Amino acid sequence: MTGGVEGGSDHLAPADIDALAAILRRATGSSSVVQVVGGGTRQGYGSPAPPDILLEMAAMADIETWDPDDLTVTVGAGMPVAELEATLATRSQTAVLPEVPGASTVGGVIAAGVSSLRRGRLLGTRERVLETTLVTGDGRIVRGGGRVVKNVTGYDLPRLVVGAFGSLGVIASVCLKLWSTPPASATVEIDDLEAATKVTRPLAVLEENETKRVFLWGTREEVVATSARLGGVISEGHQWPPDPDGPFRWSLRVPPALTSAAIVLLPPDWRYLAIHRVGEVRVASEDAAEAAGIRAWAEENGGSLVVVNAPPGGLDGLDPWGAPPPGLEIQSRLIAQFDPGRVINPGRLPGGI
Amino acid sequence: MTLIDELRLLLGVDRVLDAAVELYLYSRDASLMRGEATCVVFPESTDEVSAVIRIAEAHGVPIVARGAGTGLTAGASPTEGGIVLVTTAMNQIEIDLDNRTAWVGSGVINLDLTRAAEPYGLHFAPDPSSQSACTIGGNVANNSGGAHCLAEGATTSHVLGLEVVVAGGEVLLLGGQAPDRPGLDLKGLIVGSEGTLGVVTKALVRLLPLEADVRTLLLDFDHLRGATKTVSDVIASGLVPAALEIMDQKMTIAVENWLHAGLPTEAAAVLLAEVVGDPEAVEAEASLIDRIGRENGAGTVQIARDQAHRDTLWKGRKSAFGAVAQVAPDYYLHDTVVPRSRLVETMEEIQAIADRYQLDVYNVFHAGDGNLHPLMAFDASQPGMMERVHQAGEEMVAACLRRGGALSGEHGIGLEKRDMMRAGFTELDLDAQARLKEVFDPAATFNPAKVLPQGSRCFDFGGTRREIPDGAWI
Repeated sequence: MTGGVEGGSDHLAPADIDALAAILRRATGSSSVVQVVGGGTRQGYGSPAPPDILLEMAAMADIETWDPDDLTVTVGAGMPVAELEATLATRSQTAVLPEVPGASTVGGVIAAGVSSLRRGRLLGTRERVLETTLVTGDGRIVRGGGRVVKNVTGYDLPRLVVGAFGSLGVIASVCLKLWSTPPASATVEIDDLEAATKVTRPLAVLEENETKRVFLWGTREEVVATSARLGGVISEGHQWPPDPDGPFRWSLRVPPALTSAAIVLLPPDWRYLAIHRVGEVRVASEDAAEAAGIRAWAEENGGSLVVVNAPPGGLDGLDPWGAPPPGLEIQSRLIAQFDPGRVINPGRLPGGI
Repeated sequence: MTLIDELRLLLGVDRVLDAAVELYLYSRDASLMRGEATCVVFPESTDEVSAVIRIAEAHGVPIVARGAGTGLTAGASPTEGGIVLVTTAMNQIEIDLDNRTAWVGSGVINLDLTRAAEPYGLHFAPDPSSQSACTIGGNVANNSGGAHCLAEGATTSHVLGLEVVVAGGEVLLLGGQAPDRPGLDLKGLIVGSEGTLGVVTKALVRLLPLEADVRTLLLDFDHLRGATKTVSDVIASGLVPAALEIMDQKMTIAVENWLHAGLPTEAAAVLLAEVVGDPEAVEAEASLIDRIGRENGAGTVQIARDQAHRDTLWKGRKSAFGAVAQVAPDYYLHDTVVPRSRLVETMEEIQAIADRYQLDVYNVFHAGDGNLHPLMAFDASQPGMMERVHQAGEEMVAACLRRGGALSGEHGIGLEKRDMMRAGFTELDLDAQARLKEVFDPAATFNPAKVLPQGSRCFDFGGTRREIPDGAWI
């Protein structure tokens, strides 16, 4: 374990799960606020309480088991997504995690519930996580799920952990379901979204301010035939776009059929990356002036506008999550069972939990 | 007022059954474990479900929700007595073509949903073998799979939202059309919770486009290893076929004797593979599977060229369990999962266990995801037979767990495997699960005594629960 003090918080980097459990037990005992840090790329969500301890997961980053035949990998939460995907790619496999992850870690992506751009075809991060090993706020080691690709044994704790921002416990390790990467891939730039309907189930249909692209993969025969049918500019392989960057970053979530309507609603200087057929639009802006109106429209249509990152004081009273979700009271009681002292990332979740 | 009187005031006389013969009909699901309900109710709306729950709570009796009762683990057997709440009258379907989704009453039959969606070029992907009878509510409760969930995932991958009635009769609307609703994913927790957290009244499900084209292949092998190696090689090549199913020789013979579908009865193993997609895709993928199969020793490869041939091949697979009825009067099948790389050795051990107990074991399984269904056929009237079947079954499950497998791949835990949960989880793991249950259902109203073994809560929350009734077989 390494330690240090910076900006009033202790930096702790546990080397294994027992050290992690000891830190959390002590934190609960002394009511110290713990902020969990993977790659540090997703620290802008919610209204976190100022931390006493910065818990860095970088030292828990081993691949525990990977049998390519089983299409599963078990990995420490601190493993960088880019490193894991590079390793898996040596055997033509992927965990279908975010394509442009920067310094993101596996644990961070799962805790924040961030998904791949391929989620229209292969679904989101919730579908990837087969098993989680957590350390609860009071230092219990709890495993849920299993290391097989199909499993209905007991409650689906792994699914609940995705997007829970550590509130059920710090993720120590996870088992992920993998996909084999098919031999061929191509990207086709199209003018009109209507063209994308000529392929029954493309890997992704992405729209940015200047471009609309369809991403394809499969056997060579399939990719050649379907990319020709789309009738745009074809390039081999996939160049995945990064999320738009700016002082304010947002996640706009709407019913899939309203994706184009959501784009139309954005002010012209906002940058966006929309995942069609999913209803997720990643947005960046210089200010938050028009956010309240966009949020009102999204919520009216069953969606949300979530603050991914904002400069300090920049939200001017705008709630980072918007309207509180249903079942908030049950959510609080669930969290109390896993983090009774509420020491892990308090304030991150909607409703100020 | 008595419980029955109150329920009749709410629902009318016709929708509250309590005659002995009616109670008997609803005393178990498709498992052999029987309970005894106080009454059976048929609510038609969410409000009625909510009112039934409040009445049950006031009288301190359990509620067991039930769809078609096709479950195999006593998940819908009222083994603790109380009210059996039948969902079949909640059977509305509202399709949203723009978003390719549908709000579906929990009593809608799985196949009826797909039939309702087909005119719009859509379908519901999860297809348990019981799909012509089982309900969406049951699918949600068990997170049901089916032969086609290899590529598309089980029920939970297709549920975007739920309307669920929880303790106190509170109605929660969870999830929705938009992705990633902020907050904890309570919907994801309720799917697969076997009716122990509340009663699901409606589900918002994804509908997938009907595939433009399909190829179904049947490959025969003179050794099981060739078939499983083919499955591994196909997946390693980057293909995720819609289905990869294996039948062993005993099962193939039983099916062929019954169905006369032209199955290769002299083969040690038969692999049924299906690829779907755009026409160019299926053509290329089918020839790739053909080639990989032959490299691994496939004798003949049949490729169904028309729907009739395809239906025949699938009928063989989906009626496998029915076909065993001609062999012996009773059967019992387990549902376990192993990592795919351990399939062959696991199957060999299962055979050895069956031999040791002098039992016939038949195998048909979802090879793509390592989901085994070893089936023992027997005559329960023979003295000592049930004990042998029970013992052998437990050893088969243990053999899978030893190889890093899971207790259940798609049938659930219910009562059948409840007490085996300790083999797969630590005390702390089970305690955490018991806490989830307790948060939703502190009075143990919803399907009590299922899924979690007694005393899972390290600091048990009491409650009077009876043991399994006499005559129940687990």
